[in-house]
Amino acid sequence: MEDALPAFVLHSEASHSGTMNDAPANSSVDSDEQLMLAFARGANGAFNTLFERYRQPLFGFFRRRVADPAHAEELAQETFLAVLRGASRYQATALFRTWLYAIAFKILRAHRRKAAFRATFLGAPTEIPEPAAAGSLDVEVMMRQAVRALDAIDREVLLLREFEQLSYAEIGSLLDLPLNTVRSRLFRARMALHALLAPTAANVKEAL
Amino acid sequence: MITAAHPVAAEQLMALLDGELPSDEALAVSAHLEHCAECAELAGQFRGVSRSLAGWVVPEVPPAIEANVIAQAAAPVKAGRAPIFRVSNWKLWAVGGAVAAGLLLLVLPSLFVSHKRPQMLMVQPASQPYTASQPVAQQPPLKLDQLASGGFAAATRAPGVAGDSNGLFHSVHEQSVPDEAVALKAGTIGRAVNGRSDRLTSLDSSTTPTAPMIARTVDLNIMVRDFPAARTALDAIVLRHHGYSAHLSATTTDNAPRILQDSLRIPSTEVASAVSEIKSLGRVVGESQSGEEVTQRHADLAARLQNSRETEQRLRDILAQRTGKIEDVLQVEEEIARVRGEIEGMESDQKTLEHRVDFASVDLYLNEEYKEQFGTPSTPASTRIGNAFVTGLRNAASMLLGMVLFIEEAGPVVLIWLLILGVPALLVWRRYRRMRARI
Repeated sequence: MEDALPAFVLHSEASHSGTMNDAPANSSVDSDEQLMLAFARGANGAFNTLFERYRQPLFGFFRRRVADPAHAEELAQETFLAVLRGASRYQATALFRTWLYAIAFKILRAHRRKAAFRATFLGAPTEIPEPAAAGSLDVEVMMRQAVRALDAIDREVLLLREFEQLSYAEIGSLLDLPLNTVRSRLFRARMALHALLAPTAANVKEAL
Repeated sequence: MITAAHPVAAEQLMALLDGELPSDEALAVSAHLEHCAECAELAGQFRGVSRSLAGWVVPEVPPAIEANVIAQAAAPVKAGRAPIFRVSNWKLWAVGGAVAAGLLLLVLPSLFVSHKRPQMLMVQPASQPYTASQPVAQQPPLKLDQLASGGFAAATRAPGVAGDSNGLFHSVHEQSVPDEAVALKAGTIGRAVNGRSDRLTSLDSSTTPTAPMIARTVDLNIMVRDFPAARTALDAIVLRHHGYSAHLSATTTDNAPRILQDSLRIPSTEVASAVSEIKSLGRVVGESQSGEEVTQRHADLAARLQNSRETEQRLRDILAQRTGKIEDVLQVEEEIARVRGEIEGMESDQKTLEHRVDFASVDLYLNEEYKEQFGTPSTPASTRIGNAFVTGLRNAASMLLGMVLFIEEAGPVVLIWLLILGVPALLVWRRYRRMRARI
């Protein structure tokens, strides 16, 4: 959306907090796309820069979607290795981050398929570790539970918007959804999450 | 919800906060937001959700990931930058190759069998005596003209295979022939065989024949350029060799080669020369010859015939010389009638057998080398279009009927299998979906 205003309301708060999202701070002169093309031509340093920009966002992408931290690490590493393998095929027709998250989504879906298959036929334990065992914080546990209660697609739309900072169009492209559907699902997810989190917030206030 | 008092939708407000509204629309929604307490509260809810989510912080990336990825990126040969073949693909290739090899193993034997069969009907060449241990299929075939020029005599001299002499399709070389047949020369095969059959017929006794009686069969497939001329020439050949056509069918269709299928009967004495002339009509694309030895059958028949005739004669003598009751006389006459019936049946069989020996069967397929012709087809285009339409409708109706019949026939069985397999599959699918949602 070329004439869209900057996300001055929600994201300004996010930038204040510094922890709201994992979107990379792209202040460098070289854009992601230029770096990727340079890497495809053989400049290894370009990839190092890209890795620095996206290692935390990508790890966060998997960490919030996969309960097991070890699996999240494996998947993040696998995604970067897939980027390395597919560098020669990269074309700067789309934003690098869209391409990166598309790869990440494919890897995530494959992981979910395999895990579900194992759980269905082999009876392997599903990825719901105990909070204490996972070393999770209370906020993380609360957020996981709240987000898990959302519809699967609504949840993906919300996470992609809130943490990966993708535009509606990019989310629609990733999830193969029309723009209006993305907006309505995002709205529904936010309202549902507000309803889920409101009692918890009230309890916290009362406790204080 | 947009109303007259509240012209901004909640989703628009959210899109404004996300920076996803076009500028003109964003200005309008912003202006509304400044004065609308309800929208301000909604915006506060959106911000609250974002603030809550902002508390969900993930830990730092483990250093192991960085070490592995950077090491891979710095590798001199970046493995898989152009991953044409991956390990999983090789597995697929291996599985595909194994399946293809299995199919090939299944198909190859049938191909060999179908090619060997016609060769077994061919004649053994004179220069290669046949032995029982030698596979028949490995022997090169001998044509009829070679046979006529001495090959047959030498072939008959070769030791025969110990087998069933009453087999339907024996190769000539499989027959064990006494020395008398060795004297047969070119052009005298049929005559000699025929003479032997005459002798056997005239003997009409229990003496065992000493020369083979062979019922010959020749299959010819010939491609001709000038179909009418070839047909005329064929008639002349048949007439010249005193043969006749037992069955003839000719197919002539538009824009297609003409085909003549003729089942000829040619005297055995002349079959070699007749076949040679027929083959000169065009290009031989297929030829096979076979001979069935009927000597033993003929001898058995002759012996049984002789016995029956003697029995009949004895019964007639009894009827003429003895006297007795009417019942006895009637019984003897009945017996005479029965024996007479048997004799007539056997005489008929004998004549048929001798006819098969005297007249070789030549099954001829005459195919025209068709060349596409210019000119208007005999059937008008409109008629052909109409015919095609009707045929199409008929085919469609037939297919629909076939589908209905198939559903009726196979439906109950399919339903049972669906119940047997479908219910567990549904349960597994549901469990899979549940697990997928939990992960």
